Amino acid sequence: MSEQDQFRELIEAYALGSLDEQERVMLESHLTAGCADCAKALAEARWVTSQLAYLAPAAQPSDMLRARLLRTVRADAAAQPVRPSKPAVPVWLWAGIAALFLFTAYTTWDAWKLQRQVNEVKKRAAEELKLREQLQEQLAVAKREARIVMDPRSKKIILPPHSPDMPQLEAMWHPELGLCVMGQKVPMPGKNKVLQLWLIPKTGGKPMPSQMTWPDADGKLNILVENPPEVMAETKALAISEEPLGGSLQPTSTPMWVGGVS
Amino acid sequence: MFLAALTPNESHELSSDAALVERLLQRDVSAFEQLYDRHSRIVYALVLRILQQASTAEEVVQDIFLLLWRNAGRYQSARGAFVPWLLTLARNRALDHLRLKSERQRRREEQTEEPPAIQSSPLFEDVLDEKRRAERVRLLMASLNPQQKKAIEMAYFEGLSHSEIAAALKEPLGTIKSWIRNGLLRLKEGLQTTS
Repeated sequence: MSEQDQFRELIEAYALGSLDEQERVMLESHLTAGCADCAKALAEARWVTSQLAYLAPAAQPSDMLRARLLRTVRADAAAQPVRPSKPAVPVWLWAGIAALFLFTAYTTWDAWKLQRQVNEVKKRAAEELKLREQLQEQLAVAKREARIVMDPRSKKIILPPHSPDMPQLEAMWHPELGLCVMGQKVPMPGKNKVLQLWLIPKTGGKPMPSQMTWPDADGKLNILVENPPEVMAETKALAISEEPLGGSLQPTSTPMWVGGVS
Repeated sequence: MFLAALTPNESHELSSDAALVERLLQRDVSAFEQLYDRHSRIVYALVLRILQQASTAEEVVQDIFLLLWRNAGRYQSARGAFVPWLLTLARNRALDHLRLKSERQRRREEQTEEPPAIQSSPLFEDVLDEKRRAERVRLLMASLNPQQKKAIEMAYFEGLSHSEIAAALKEPLGTIKSWIRNGLLRLKEGLQTTS
């Protein structure tokens, strides 16, 4: 007989509660070890054993017992609040949902914050790039101006002011590199006004409109005209007048500076 | 077949008991009343058979049903039908009362704390009413050798061990073991046939 068979022989008596101590301890160890066959056999044996109750002679408890029990039970029910029914969603699941919600909210906020940082960095980079381009442009202008000023082929043109309290301007005109007008302590034009350069042709025709500009905060004026509308040989004089914003096709005010080219 | 799967109709009665126990958790007095009216006779009969004294039996029955009312959650329908569970509880309580403060009593209390799994025969539980069920069990037991039946009854109603029964009946220990096991297997077989 195998060890398993030996245990199976004890199952019915164990369910009945009639095993002696030694056998009971031995079988319980076996059951605790997790023998599925014996556990199943025990569940069946317990049911068979429970049916032995029907061997008891029929008897009926007194009505007094029923009344006493119901009185106690009703008093219990009245004294104790109704136990809440088991929630459809267990507490741990609610906790999980709340944690998930918090996690989602946090990650959304974190993503929004990161996106904002990325946008700020992008904006800053664009600004830096723009500044760099401006500086490069200014550098190119400065280089070009320097070449115009330094080149011996450039012609110097003095532009005396119309008013004695205004500074004098100077211009350098290179036949290939362009025209450069410079001045210091130049006052800012009036509100909604701009300084516009004019090229007055020798032929006596209408002044040719050129660039518009303002002096900087220190009153420094720099006008670079890379492609003047008229060649130097055909130009009689340079003039600068104050014009409305956007410039004019013809001078609308008396020129503030006029200088002869040749 | 003996442990055949439940069909919807067959499980109705079981579900009904289980549903009533479930309602006890909601402090439903009418559910308790129904369970008491349905099962108090067999519980009382069993306890009276063990204790042999009506007043003490009523006290124990009262304890059993109050335990059910206050600790309905101890019954788990997944672990077996309600009636075998209730009868097992009643027997253990009555035997505890019979042998108060003994080592056996301590052991049964522990068993009562953790309700055992009881695999019942659904057809037998559902089809036969209490009276017919009792008749069937008595008939099957009557077919046993009288001494064999006596040994099983001593173990069940008096809570005696193999050794104690052997001493009381003046029979060898091996004979008592054999009688009890074979008798219970025959009862099982008979109930299986009924199912």
